[in-house]
Amino acid sequence: MARNGLTTIAAKEFFDHLHSRKFLLIFGILLIVAIVGMIGGISDYNKNLEDYNKHQSTIDSPLSSYMAEKPSILSVFSSVATYLVFVGGILGIAMGFDLVSKEKESKSLKILLSHPVYRDEVINGKALGGIAALAGALFVVLFIALATLLVYGIVPDGNELILIGIFGLASFLLIFAYFAIALFMSTIMDESGSALIYTVIIFIALSALIPTLASTTVTELVIGNPPELPRELIDQMQQPANTSEVSGVTVTFASKGNNGAWDEFGERMQAYSEKRQMVYSTLALFSPTMNYDAITSAVTQQYSSRAMVIGSRGSTTTTAAFSVGTSGDVGLEDLLYPIIASIIALLLFPVVFFGLAYLRFMRLDVR
Amino acid sequence: MIQLEHLTKEYNGVRAVNDLTTEIPDGEIFGLLGPNGAGKSTTILMLTGLIEPTSGHCLIGGLDVARDPIRVKQQIGYMPEDVGFYASLSAEENLTYFGRLYGMDTPACKERSAELLSLVGLDGVTKDVGGYSKGMRQRLGLAKALLNDPAVIILDEPTANLDPQGVADYRRIITEVARQGKTVVVSSHILEEVSRVSTTVGILSKGRLIAQGSWRDLARDLSGRADTHVTILVETRDPMPDLVHPDLVSINYEHDRRGVVIVASSDIRDAISDSLALAGIRIRSLSREGLTLEETFLSYYQVAG
Repeated sequence: MARNGLTTIAAKEFFDHLHSRKFLLIFGILLIVAIVGMIGGISDYNKNLEDYNKHQSTIDSPLSSYMAEKPSILSVFSSVATYLVFVGGILGIAMGFDLVSKEKESKSLKILLSHPVYRDEVINGKALGGIAALAGALFVVLFIALATLLVYGIVPDGNELILIGIFGLASFLLIFAYFAIALFMSTIMDESGSALIYTVIIFIALSALIPTLASTTVTELVIGNPPELPRELIDQMQQPANTSEVSGVTVTFASKGNNGAWDEFGERMQAYSEKRQMVYSTLALFSPTMNYDAITSAVTQQYSSRAMVIGSRGSTTTTAAFSVGTSGDVGLEDLLYPIIASIIALLLFPVVFFGLAYLRFMRLDVR
Repeated sequence: MIQLEHLTKEYNGVRAVNDLTTEIPDGEIFGLLGPNGAGKSTTILMLTGLIEPTSGHCLIGGLDVARDPIRVKQQIGYMPEDVGFYASLSAEENLTYFGRLYGMDTPACKERSAELLSLVGLDGVTKDVGGYSKGMRQRLGLAKALLNDPAVIILDEPTANLDPQGVADYRRIITEVARQGKTVVVSSHILEEVSRVSTTVGILSKGRLIAQGSWRDLARDLSGRADTHVTILVETRDPMPDLVHPDLVSINYEHDRRGVVIVASSDIRDAISDSLALAGIRIRSLSREGLTLEETFLSYYQVAG
């Protein structure tokens, strides 16, 4: 007889998910928020496009060359990402938290494992069925999002389609990360209720606690306060001044005075900002939500300053670095380079937690 | 043939099964008897490849269960004590799914499911298994155990939740499959049930196999030992006084003291009769009970303990 345990289990799990009330409910909510987000995003996009066109028609203005940036279609997905990061996480948890624990509770696991199937076929089949259902759900969401764009007469070009694909992949990895965490909890807990509670605790820790720890206030507790402006420079600033902008931070300085002190202060600020950015980025790696934010921000706000790449939404407020940002259209490599760590970290979450779930399931005591 | 060779299983240093060695020939219905905690379920879990022995081997059809679990599982049908199914699926859908895991194609699964559901009396039941009673689940468990037409059928407490009709059906089915040359292992603490269907019995106590053989041989071997304890039932028309005798092992009076169950180390019926007559108590009946199944079983435990 042919060995077909993996496909049989995966197919059953896939159809179980599709018939599951909780999956359909959360998927329905996901669809609604995606459509609402898209419509809101399209409205903003059209408004920005109108502004852009106006600027183009007033090209004589001295500022027009700086401000006349054509808005990206990807900006439409920005609000979708805001919803997806929460609803997607919940969907992943809902699909994974009882995959193994429910079988333990209903005593069907013992029956299942008494059949000629390897244990790895069981856990892999369950994961595959869940991943297929998640991928299917996300595909439908993206398809409807694209269809909404087309309905509004917005047609993405090839590069934009690639970026939408990256957005979709990041969204999938986020949901898969929480699915894998839930699956792991499901293998170590005997009851689905406990598995759900502990998964939700982890979800809160990863999506709220770590961003809070990475926030300015908490980071400053760790690395100290930013350097203060020396008294002599403050005095100089009392005099009539010019303004200059360094990477979005407006610094006012005297037209004449101690340039060495300014340089020294600038270096200290630079070192402090880099340190703070390093702490923030390191903490961010431990949160799928923050990694997802970083990736989707880079994708959906591709015309923004490079320094804005890491975290720009909600609680993950950006720390503006002193490095000079680049404006204008960016290539795919330029876009991916700053977020490669986030992509790898987001990829590692499902790999690590699924690996743990696998190991645990292989050693599970079936009595 | 099933062979257990020095089979041992330890949980946290405690031996649940201790050096179990036996052989069960093809076509036997082997009853595995023992109280809770004797090691029956652990033995069965090792036989089905669900847990690995700490030491020793289980061989089914010459294949080592721990080394070749997939081929062994192709040959066995198993019904656990707490049989569980997928609540949101019907009986046929459950059996079809499990049939697919045996490598059967869907039409074959459906055909076999219909046949087995009819055999266990669940044909025509279309509701999801979540709405089944425990007895119905047990019937479905028996159908599942027969799904792959196995050479060896392993049943853990198979009649625990069955009604009298279900028990009768179970006996009929088990007897029939044994007649077809299949080996059946039945674990139970219900002595009456095991004695009805089993051709051979093994008694487990504290993880050790303390006796094995046909029920008749076992009872014969035990008769000498059992004769040392005599159960006497007395019924009287008047309340009895306290009875005293050197050979008395235990005595349990009924509430109104007009009945008593006496266990003694010798047949003291004459002494009891004389004592009661002397006290002016009118006797309604005085009898010695034969060796019951339960007494045989308990007698083994007394020896093992």
